[in-house]
Amino acid sequence: MNMRLMRSPSAVEVAITGKCNLRCLYCSHFSSAADVPEDLPTSEWLTFFEELGRLAVLRITLEGGEPFIRPDLPELLEGIVKNRLRFTILSNGTLITDELAAFIAATRRCDSVQVSIDGSKAATHDACRGQGNFYKAMQGLEKLKKHGVPVTIRVTINRNNLEDLPEISRFLLEELRLPRFSTNSADVMGVCRSQADKIQLSVADRSRAMVLLWELEQKYPGRITALAGPLFEAHDWLDITQAQRENREPKNGRGHLTGCGGVFNKLAVRSDGVMVPCVHLCHMELGHINRDDLGEVWRNHPELTRLRERGEIPLSDFAFCADCQYMPFCTGGCPAVAYTRTGQENHPNPDYCLKLFLDKGGRLPDVHI
Amino acid sequence: MTTTDRPIANPLVVLREEFDDWAVLFDPDTGHAFGLNPISVFVWQRLDGKHTIQEILSEMKDTYRDVPLEAENHLREFIDNLLEHGLAGYQYQT
Repeated sequence: MNMRLMRSPSAVEVAITGKCNLRCLYCSHFSSAADVPEDLPTSEWLTFFEELGRLAVLRITLEGGEPFIRPDLPELLEGIVKNRLRFTILSNGTLITDELAAFIAATRRCDSVQVSIDGSKAATHDACRGQGNFYKAMQGLEKLKKHGVPVTIRVTINRNNLEDLPEISRFLLEELRLPRFSTNSADVMGVCRSQADKIQLSVADRSRAMVLLWELEQKYPGRITALAGPLFEAHDWLDITQAQRENREPKNGRGHLTGCGGVFNKLAVRSDGVMVPCVHLCHMELGHINRDDLGEVWRNHPELTRLRERGEIPLSDFAFCADCQYMPFCTGGCPAVAYTRTGQENHPNPDYCLKLFLDKGGRLPDVHI
Repeated sequence: MTTTDRPIANPLVVLREEFDDWAVLFDPDTGHAFGLNPISVFVWQRLDGKHTIQEILSEMKDTYRDVPLEAENHLREFIDNLLEHGLAGYQYQT
């Protein structure tokens, strides 16, 4: 296979810590291969950032755990700046101090701090994230805004906040006047695995979420986004059903496992320094930072090659997809959820199966696209 | 104070080589990225404060076949663009 591959990833996602001050009910960590006993010390990360600089990596996302739990965060950010990278931080928002917000703003290298907000009020947000954390997250958000740090919001849709979506949208977009927010939904990974029946959206909930989000998207054009979850599924699946109805030619790559292109531009690192293809594929150990050459791992590791070649695998190879009328238009979805569900990364994700969704009584929004 | 006539790349700017000798110039302070074709990469790599524009042009003619007559104008335009975006500059003479 003739794959065009960049010499190094353009972006790297780094779990700088496995520790978190919260235990959100749908966290994709904890009870996963990302649970490692110790975080790397400051010096190891700083050495790694130098390697990223040498390889002309452009962007780094700091995540965890909760990145703001590390007392050496300013020192790590200085290392990132020194090596000519821009950064994003994914946070629950509860540990952001005025000093840290000011420090981040002063670096001028922050693409955004993403704060998770799951409700328009404390009762909804705290139902999954723990009592008092809505207030703390709001305080963190205000500090970031005060210092002019670009802020993005992620809403994780689950059974507890589904009916709050209209109010969440009003709160974030009208009351807080944020430009936009993104959505996903609780996936069956990490903590969520043990209580999926209480947290994860049922088929009926997903149908309801799609309708609500579709309506909200009309009300707030371009201000609610999704790369996964009900809103993304509504768009993709409506497009698929229309293409199938109109007997259209499938778009390039459809009908194959092309659901994720992350392995062509990104790499991830666990909090113990182990390189992995993605933070959600943290069981696939590719090497260790500062011991193994990142560029070499990126270009030649057989596991990465195997993931990159998944786009060549036709969905017709899978018994799971047999007799599916939507198969020529499908991408197979996320390999990480596919792994959690089936034990194989190179398998269609059952949670992203339109046929299964409809067979179980799921309904797409009644709209014309 | 006067400047030299030897342009120099902004050391903060990242040259990221991608496919087929094309590259991206990335300004981490602004997040802006600019695509470079292989000839522009050749020029960028000579913006070291030691080469004049004439010297870069001369090296270009030595390296590539059929360099067109208007190459000097294009080279000057390219460097002017870099200067305008803060991606390159001239050092002050000491």
